[in-house]
Amino acid sequence: MSEPVSRRDLLHNVVRGGVLATLGGGALFLVKKANGQVVWQVDAARCVNSRLGDTGAEACKLCTTQCVVALSAVRAVNEHSKCGRCSICPAYFNITSAVDEKGLPSEKLCPRDAITRKPIGKADPEDPANNFYEYIIDEEKCDGCGKCVMKCKEPLGLGSIVLRVRYDKCVNCNRCAISRSCPKDALHQIPLEQALRPPELRPRTE
Amino acid sequence: MEYRQIQTIGGKGNAPGQFATSLRGLAVDAHGQLYAAGDSEIKLYDAAGRLKRRWSTARPVLSVAVAADGAVYAGQLRQIEIFDAAGKLIDTWRDETLLGRVTSIGFVKDGVLAGDAADRAIRHFDRNGKLRNTIGKDNPVNGLLIPNGVVDFAVDAHGVIHAANPGKHRVERYLPTGELLGHIGRFHGTDPAGFGGCCNPTNVAVRDRIYVTEKAGPRAKVYDFDGNLQAVIASPAFDPNCKNMSVAVDGRGVVYVADTVKLAIFVFQPVNV
Repeated sequence: MSEPVSRRDLLHNVVRGGVLATLGGGALFLVKKANGQVVWQVDAARCVNSRLGDTGAEACKLCTTQCVVALSAVRAVNEHSKCGRCSICPAYFNITSAVDEKGLPSEKLCPRDAITRKPIGKADPEDPANNFYEYIIDEEKCDGCGKCVMKCKEPLGLGSIVLRVRYDKCVNCNRCAISRSCPKDALHQIPLEQALRPPELRPRTE
Repeated sequence: MEYRQIQTIGGKGNAPGQFATSLRGLAVDAHGQLYAAGDSEIKLYDAAGRLKRRWSTARPVLSVAVAADGAVYAGQLRQIEIFDAAGKLIDTWRDETLLGRVTSIGFVKDGVLAGDAADRAIRHFDRNGKLRNTIGKDNPVNGLLIPNGVVDFAVDAHGVIHAANPGKHRVERYLPTGELLGHIGRFHGTDPAGFGGCCNPTNVAVRDRIYVTEKAGPRAKVYDFDGNLQAVIASPAFDPNCKNMSVAVDGRGVVYVADTVKLAIFVFQPVNV
């Protein structure tokens, strides 16, 4: 059983910008949960879709198909601090599709069109490459299929998109159906206070 | 054109000719000797690939270049160390702002160029280390687009700078004054003549042609100065996870490519040589 978290400590954790950016609306939901509770989370270093070294593999879709929640409680999240804001993002475009007249791939990658982008600053109408882009994942559309995660990971991308359990959607099953089927044992229960930390500050599970 | 792999130099390990943790930069001098920047050392190999000399750098070394007078420049975080041909330290240029992360070095007639990945630009210094101008920032994105974290460039025989701009899938040509002359390259996900992925090419070398390396999948390619693809060097020897592979070419057209995962230098020779 983990130590109780004081209200002051909890608030301190919650206001940390990186956490809010990572967890989005889920962070506010977590604050409402009881202290000492454990929650499920995906370890990106184990997940087939994001772990380094598995180049050329197909995306694992078990988070989509095994979760008891409609559309899955696991969704893709773009960690904006890591994102390269590329003109041609392999997680946004199907980069092997035909190239259009602007020199961009003609097809998007996400089967649910859950990723949108907008140029940062003034857009260059002549040259799409002359811009940084902000990539936003609509969690209401995302079903956690992991295709974008697989294409974002290094070395093709920078590994900014990972799968995360959205705590406001997860029903916190005692025996998570995804964890039982995950081939890499990537889903773990972690204490609530750890879930409030930025992912890089959480204890590793291996 | 076709190339065949003729040799492997270095590799991961603690032997004198090997690299323990990193291999980041390559350069070839006028005598065909190969300089490699890895760990916190410069290693010098003769034309046959035998380790001839090695010496330490003050910080982990990110790039290496050899001037016409034989001086060896080693790029690091916030500084460049300058050694004589024997590896004796003769000067250190330090600057927190202008030399944030020196991932490439080159030379023009009376100046020294340093790629600063921290600022996504190329610095142009005089031979005493005084800044003349900065290259590559006069554009809407205020610098080269380098999601991979490396600025790499090479200088041709006419003093024109060929800089990799991987986010734009181009190799851009600049004058030392900073004027953009043009570029080669375009995005394409399947045509090998184009540059694929989010951000390629990552590294560049120039001699009789333009030589580049790409990541995911790792390969080297050769273009003429009009941007026409001449050759693809896609060796199965490259680790599929490697990126930012430094490339160098000697006077015989032999191509040296640094595998940043295997920490090995793969040597490729044109088959018609």
